[in-house]
Amino acid sequence: MIKGPVLTIENLRTYFYSKSKQAFIRSVDGVNLEIDKGKTLGIVGESGSGKSITAMSVMGLISAPPGVIIGKIRLSTESIQKNLLQGLKDYVRINMSTGRIMEIYKDNVGWQKNIDRIMYKIRGREISMIFQNPKISMNPFITIGSQITESIMLNTTIKNRSKAKERALYWLEQVKIDSPRLRYNNNPHGLSGGMCQRAMIAMALSSEPSLLIADEPTTGLDATIQSKIVNLLAELKSTVGVTTMLISHDINVIRELSDQVAVMYGGTVLEHGPAKDVLSAGYEYKHPYTAALLASIPNEQHIREKGYLQAIKGDVLDTINIPGGCRFHDRCEMITNKIKERCENHEPDLKDISANHKVRCWLYYDS
Amino acid sequence: MAKTILEVENLKKYYIQPGGIFTPFKGAKRIIPAVDDVSFYIKENETMGLVGETGCGKTTIGRTLLKLTPVTAGRIIFDEKDITQLTPHEFLPFRRQVQMIFQDLDAALNPKMRIRSILKEALTVHHRLSDAEINREIGELLEKVNLKKSKLSNFPGELSGGEKRRVGIARALAVGARFLVADEPTSALDVSIQAQVVNLLKDLQKNLGLSYLFISHDLRIVELISHKVAVMYLGQIVEMGMAGRIAHEPRHPYTSILWSSLVEKKSRETTKVSTDSKKGTWGVFDFERPHTGCRFAPRCPVYEAKGKPSICNEPSKAPQLQDIGDAHKVRCHFPL
Repeated sequence: MIKGPVLTIENLRTYFYSKSKQAFIRSVDGVNLEIDKGKTLGIVGESGSGKSITAMSVMGLISAPPGVIIGKIRLSTESIQKNLLQGLKDYVRINMSTGRIMEIYKDNVGWQKNIDRIMYKIRGREISMIFQNPKISMNPFITIGSQITESIMLNTTIKNRSKAKERALYWLEQVKIDSPRLRYNNNPHGLSGGMCQRAMIAMALSSEPSLLIADEPTTGLDATIQSKIVNLLAELKSTVGVTTMLISHDINVIRELSDQVAVMYGGTVLEHGPAKDVLSAGYEYKHPYTAALLASIPNEQHIREKGYLQAIKGDVLDTINIPGGCRFHDRCEMITNKIKERCENHEPDLKDISANHKVRCWLYYDS
Repeated sequence: MAKTILEVENLKKYYIQPGGIFTPFKGAKRIIPAVDDVSFYIKENETMGLVGETGCGKTTIGRTLLKLTPVTAGRIIFDEKDITQLTPHEFLPFRRQVQMIFQDLDAALNPKMRIRSILKEALTVHHRLSDAEINREIGELLEKVNLKKSKLSNFPGELSGGEKRRVGIARALAVGARFLVADEPTSALDVSIQAQVVNLLKDLQKNLGLSYLFISHDLRIVELISHKVAVMYLGQIVEMGMAGRIAHEPRHPYTSILWSSLVEKKSRETTKVSTDSKKGTWGVFDFERPHTGCRFAPRCPVYEAKGKPSICNEPSKAPQLQDIGDAHKVRCHFPL
């Protein structure tokens, strides 16, 4: 029995080099996360905040040029305890004082080989992923049944094709696809969007992974189908009990499904804590960004009065020129004169406010 | 009483699917009724929301209003003139007044043109302007949509989603539009940016007196921005009325399922009605099961609860859109 979190991310930085700008795009810039066994971690944030790149870094899907990763991603399951980024430090030059990447050495091939050597036993087997667009992510020429069967034969101990097929049918049933035997022989384009997403979930779960990454599983589906997929994921969470990293920009979906929530902005985590605290409107200790995000969702009062929504002024952070100081200070409405100087010049740390709840904001430093 | 700016009467748009080379063996071409007998009107300075699932024909309606696709039958009266009968040349002055905000941010803007040229093209296509006038107009447009002047020399790829959306709106306004068809304007945006765009659309309506046809599947946003709402199912309007009433006192079973399925509401009991996926394809026209009578019957909880009354299935007794008072119309034999 393994104790401690299944996945620990320490100080992860994923940069991309932009040739035209002659600079690094700091998509993920110092992320620390933990996921406990059987729990769901929800990651919310605007587009461009680095949530998908975090997931892709864990999955080892960042291609060497122009991408570069440093930090620690520690996976500890029954069969594997390993830092997924082992040895990657040799390929970059790091600024010792800030920890930022300064330069990539030219050995791209070695980098890619290193990643593949570590990941080939983990990808699909220990960590599997539900992608945003099921129709694009599945092979259009192969029936969904044989895709799932193939995944089972590759990633589990079942090597017999007919047994693997039985297992695939079992998983199709688990995700509530009606008449699985019929659907087994359908190609992805023969299924509706919601069904295809179900098949995708079945495929991800069929290898019985230690960690499931769901990247925007409900985006792009209709409201009625969206709620069904959310219900399905909630049900699977209780029956299968897989550890999940759930990424979404839909706060309602995250609130429904997660135990822990991390709010990301401009490549870092601004707030990390239990879902019911972080995403409830009444909670007192909250990052200004989370509060603003929650306020911009249309609520009953807005709708009744047909009033204006409370928008966050300004735009998403430009991750090439990240300003000094707190990343959110340009758009923050809760800056007081007392802390203004600190907000503009120094970046706060992710500080514990209460048990399990961390916030990266100067507001909570004095209390 | 505000003037009616747009009136749609019995609009039909059928797409024809060709039979292919094996036509003699497999049967003739098939007809898909994307929009089937739709009527509504929009007054000046008013917003009508159009909701429904994927494939129910909402975008097709938007496209026919702009004459981007020819209609099969019916009339579209814009400013007291039937635009379906106009030749392309006669239609030009109307093209200026009806514009569209497209759903796909990236596909709607030419990636190889700078923002300035995109706006300039829209400005000069209908009017002949001098350089100074163009600069002034562009400046005014940017002010209207709250876009920074420094973004003019950027390419669309360098802008964020909210900025691209604002360029799209600015381009629609450049020609002097009075009526905007907004096709899912917030679907690709984050909540914070979505709020900015919704506020902008409301501001523009107040300041410029625009009318909108607001197509979306985000029910909360539709309820917030629209004065009245039409709910579509399989090419037909099944319910139409004031936004608040549609949302809070729906009379058609489909509308009530649609609203109760909002993730936020967490009403598991009510969503159970809709979780039955055994009954037909969702909201998409199904050739194997031609719809006779009420189109919603195969998925309808009321139909089930009433013991499958035969009136719901009879082709000759297909329900009509009947007025039930207060400009509220519903297409159902057994309104809730």
